[in-house]
Amino acid sequence: MNYFIEQTINGITLGGLYALVALGYTMVYGILMLINFAHSEMFMLGGYIGLLSLKVLSDPSLAEDVGLGFLEPAQAFFNSGTIGFILMLVVTFLVSGALVGVVGMITERFAYRPLRKAPRLAPLISAIGISIFLQNAVLLWVSSKQLPYSRADGTSFVPVKTAFTFMGVEVSTMQVLIIVTSITLLLALDTFIARTRVGRAMRATAQDRDAAGLMGVDVNRVIMLAFFIGPALGAVAGIFNGMYYGSVKYNMGFIPGVKSFTAAVIGGIGNLRGAMLGGFLLGIIESLASGFISHAYRDVIAFIVLIVVLVVRPGGLLGESVTEKV
Amino acid sequence: MARSTRLVLAVALALALALLAIGCGSNDGGTTTTAAGTSTESVEVVIGIGAPLTDGAVALGQGMVRGANLAVKEANESQELIDLGITLSTVEGDDKGDPTTGGNVAEQFASNQNLVAVMGHLNSGVTRVAVKVYAQNDILQVSPANTAVDLTIPRSNANYFRVCANDGVQGPAAADYASKAGFKTAYVVDDSTPYGEGLADAWAAQFEANGGTVLGREKTADKDTDFKALVTTIKAQNPELVYYGGIYNAGALLSKQLKEGGVAVPMMAGDGVFDPEYIKLAGAANAEGDLCTSVGLPTDQMPKGQDFIASYDAMYPGEAMAAYDAYSYDAAKVIITAIVQVAKDMGADKLTTPEGKKAIIAATQGISFESVTGTVSFDENGDTNNKAITVYKVVGGAWTPEKM
Amino acid sequence: MGWATISRRATQMGGGVFTDKRALHAALAVLIILIPLIFQAATGLGFLVRILVIVGIWILLALGLNIVVGYAGLLDLGYVAFYAMGAYAGVLLGQATSDVLGGATYWVMLVPGAIAGAVTGLVLGFPVLRLRGDYLAIVTLGFGEIVRISLSNNILGLTNGAAGLPRGTEVMVPPFGLRWLQANVRFDTPLGDFVFSPNLYWYFVVLGLIVISVIVINRLDDSRLGRAWAAMRENEVAAAACGVNIRTQKLWAFSIGALSGGVAGVTFAYVQQFVSPESFIFMESVFVVCIVVLGGMGSIPGVIVGALVIRGIPDLIQGLAVAGVVRLSGATMSSITSYRFLVFGLLMVIMMAFRPEGMIPSKRRARELHPEDDAVLFDESLALEEVDHAGRSSDHGP
Repeated sequence: MNYFIEQTINGITLGGLYALVALGYTMVYGILMLINFAHSEMFMLGGYIGLLSLKVLSDPSLAEDVGLGFLEPAQAFFNSGTIGFILMLVVTFLVSGALVGVVGMITERFAYRPLRKAPRLAPLISAIGISIFLQNAVLLWVSSKQLPYSRADGTSFVPVKTAFTFMGVEVSTMQVLIIVTSITLLLALDTFIARTRVGRAMRATAQDRDAAGLMGVDVNRVIMLAFFIGPALGAVAGIFNGMYYGSVKYNMGFIPGVKSFTAAVIGGIGNLRGAMLGGFLLGIIESLASGFISHAYRDVIAFIVLIVVLVVRPGGLLGESVTEKV
Repeated sequence: MARSTRLVLAVALALALALLAIGCGSNDGGTTTTAAGTSTESVEVVIGIGAPLTDGAVALGQGMVRGANLAVKEANESQELIDLGITLSTVEGDDKGDPTTGGNVAEQFASNQNLVAVMGHLNSGVTRVAVKVYAQNDILQVSPANTAVDLTIPRSNANYFRVCANDGVQGPAAADYASKAGFKTAYVVDDSTPYGEGLADAWAAQFEANGGTVLGREKTADKDTDFKALVTTIKAQNPELVYYGGIYNAGALLSKQLKEGGVAVPMMAGDGVFDPEYIKLAGAANAEGDLCTSVGLPTDQMPKGQDFIASYDAMYPGEAMAAYDAYSYDAAKVIITAIVQVAKDMGADKLTTPEGKKAIIAATQGISFESVTGTVSFDENGDTNNKAITVYKVVGGAWTPEKM
Repeated sequence: MGWATISRRATQMGGGVFTDKRALHAALAVLIILIPLIFQAATGLGFLVRILVIVGIWILLALGLNIVVGYAGLLDLGYVAFYAMGAYAGVLLGQATSDVLGGATYWVMLVPGAIAGAVTGLVLGFPVLRLRGDYLAIVTLGFGEIVRISLSNNILGLTNGAAGLPRGTEVMVPPFGLRWLQANVRFDTPLGDFVFSPNLYWYFVVLGLIVISVIVINRLDDSRLGRAWAAMRENEVAAAACGVNIRTQKLWAFSIGALSGGVAGVTFAYVQQFVSPESFIFMESVFVVCIVVLGGMGSIPGVIVGALVIRGIPDLIQGLAVAGVVRLSGATMSSITSYRFLVFGLLMVIMMAFRPEGMIPSKRRARELHPEDDAVLFDESLALEEVDHAGRSSDHGP
């Protein structure tokens, strides 16, 4: 029983990461009908920028070297304990979320916007091109090696490893952090889309871009916004991924990217709540498959679930039950 | 009339382009022949270095390049080569750890007229494809790192040698150590590469033969980073030891996640993790107590080891040595020794001829010299006679040799 | 279509460099046969023949995928699965029967390889082809991974896991005539020694397969099936209303494409004399899609040129340096190898922005949209819009 609970918690944590990334895929798809293959690189960039930010924020001598010596009083606080650590994490999220969000907007502006009139496959190929470009840029200009996600002295960023023990199951701090943060962010985004004016504009654009435009929605700004929020959430997932699993590498985005896209499709692509549901479901399925069937075949099982879901419900779990629209 | 003129023009243009490409080729061949013919200048002999340089186990591949280049540089400075009129040079071929790319690299090496031997490859899968190309072209291959047993047993390629012990030696030796050290139960994981799979199988078989129990056997992928679910599985089995067949990248993360997930037992692995990167990636605290085997005796304890380390540091200041640097150095020395021997027998200008290349392969079989990794000589299969295995343990954040 | 497209274009662009189609065909044929022979003979260029063989296999793959993506408009991101099925079926059955078949093993194995590909295509296609275009993409992607992971886990004890096939002690029998040619066809030429290498043998085998594929595809395109595909691409509903069974037509396209992948797989395995799961990763599928799209969807010369450029040029540059033909310093070399993917990624983006119809677009596509105007060769971005199956408007916002 403990074993089952433990695997489920593993799964929920993984699912939280998938859900954060899946949102980026589903938002872009909902508005542009584009599989943004480069989204997995936003996750990767987030991991790298987050590592840099955490290092600078936690290490006074490094901050001095990059000309941020004035951070020293804050650093003392960041390194002082749980609250300091959480604050440091929040600052890191803001910094890398903003930077990666801007990268996302740049890719939209230069790689996708000129192609809105082009055939469907053109932006897809462009996205693959961006993905290859970003991976190789990191490989060439940052490092081709796998980098450890740790402080300058080689210890991990998280001060306490175990958060609490629940029914004899130890739950780690990282798991609590990931689950709580991802659910909070998902709820916040859901509220934002459902309640605010901008959110309504976004829904309108997703439903019918031309009509939304005619009704006075600035479609380009809405699309830019989607390309900011998605990558920013992806960056948060990338940082968590680094801290949770312990490293970053230039090609780290690919596998989580494919899985998150799968999650978005299982939930019904274009549907935000579907992406969240799909993310958590896929995480749990994978974790249980690995724990009870075979670790080697967990991806196979995940993809079989995908095929079964699509054959039974072609629109995904929460998707509109569309047949081919013409 | 105009039509046919244009046709002729077009065909001529196309042929000219083709010939232009060839022009480069024969030019190159031409200069070499003159050099050899007059023998006033030295003969240029090329050694190929085949290794993963941009994808795969890059740290190990770059180490191989460093080791081999050091040997070649020393040889070029030696009076012996100067007297014989040979200038050695190296050319790198990036096989990315992928068999098809490796096959291309092998063809490229084979097309280089001055290339007589290849120091490489790292991955056994790459060698499987590449060695056939070398065999067709009478090119000697000496690998510092291939460990798949069936590359040499049974012997299918006379041109293939390796200076490291194979999985059939390393895996069982590691299992014997584990049994002697008192480990009774183990969980075995591999990374789904030919290397990791072969090593883990060999280890598990010997461990069970020694009376140990293998509680479970799982496969992961070499690019995996998420082992959380696997860690929970292993934790439930409660083994005394985890054996991992694979390379340092994923291995370090497995070790880290095991320790963080509450599996406080050592992880043991093969020479693929014998790299300082492993400890850096896992975190020194997590890696502490982990074990690995490596072929041969510790470099710094070897008679020639200190010299090697000194010249290595002089040539590559600040570079940490990876697992196969010393082996690559020795593999390159095997090649150089064979070249020198053939040059003495047949004359330096014959080295790059087909007969010369065949003679180089034949000469390699009988080679025997003392070097960094011990006595380098080959048995009838092309395997090294140096079957010593050293067990290393992470002590105080560094790989430290253990007493067997 | 076919080469005719090139000559027409050349006529229109260059003001008539080639006025006679046949002359151009003849010149091309001579070059295609002559070039590998010259490479083989010329000192230091032999490796180019192997590059041509590998590129040729990629052309086969791209031609097959072109039926699925270019003709039927289905995005398949797991094409490599059929390639793998063909390769493994060919090697497994081939090893079991090579005692009997001898030198015929490869040739006979083309049949089970093709069947393995086609059957896999049918089995996968049957349930998933009713899915919307992009769902099909992810399902095929997942299927590709399922195949690869199963192969590397030694499924049913057949595939020997990561170590690949044939197993260490086995050897694959070379096809008919190769040994004889290797032993007997060798002579000196002014360029260097000519030896009939296995690569040269495979070059002509692959060339033959490509020619057959091109002929078959051209015939298909003119057949009832090809017309049905064209109708389906243009307007699925209208096509269905005219009596085209959409699902059957898609299934045909999918399995014919898969069959072609299977044939390429068998050939790949026998060229390399070894097959392992590492050769069937997702990136390979992406590469084939890129070749088809960058070359020009639905255009046979397009995908051929696409494969030459995308697979051939990077290998060529590295190869020339490694083989010592071009003298490059170590630093230049390593920067070429490391920057090429960066440049490649960027080129894909630029290419899509300025010429989304591909390098050599299909002319028929242009005609489909502009029946009255035959000269709109370079305004074809619209011509490819019929791939837009989901049918959402893709106009700009205001």
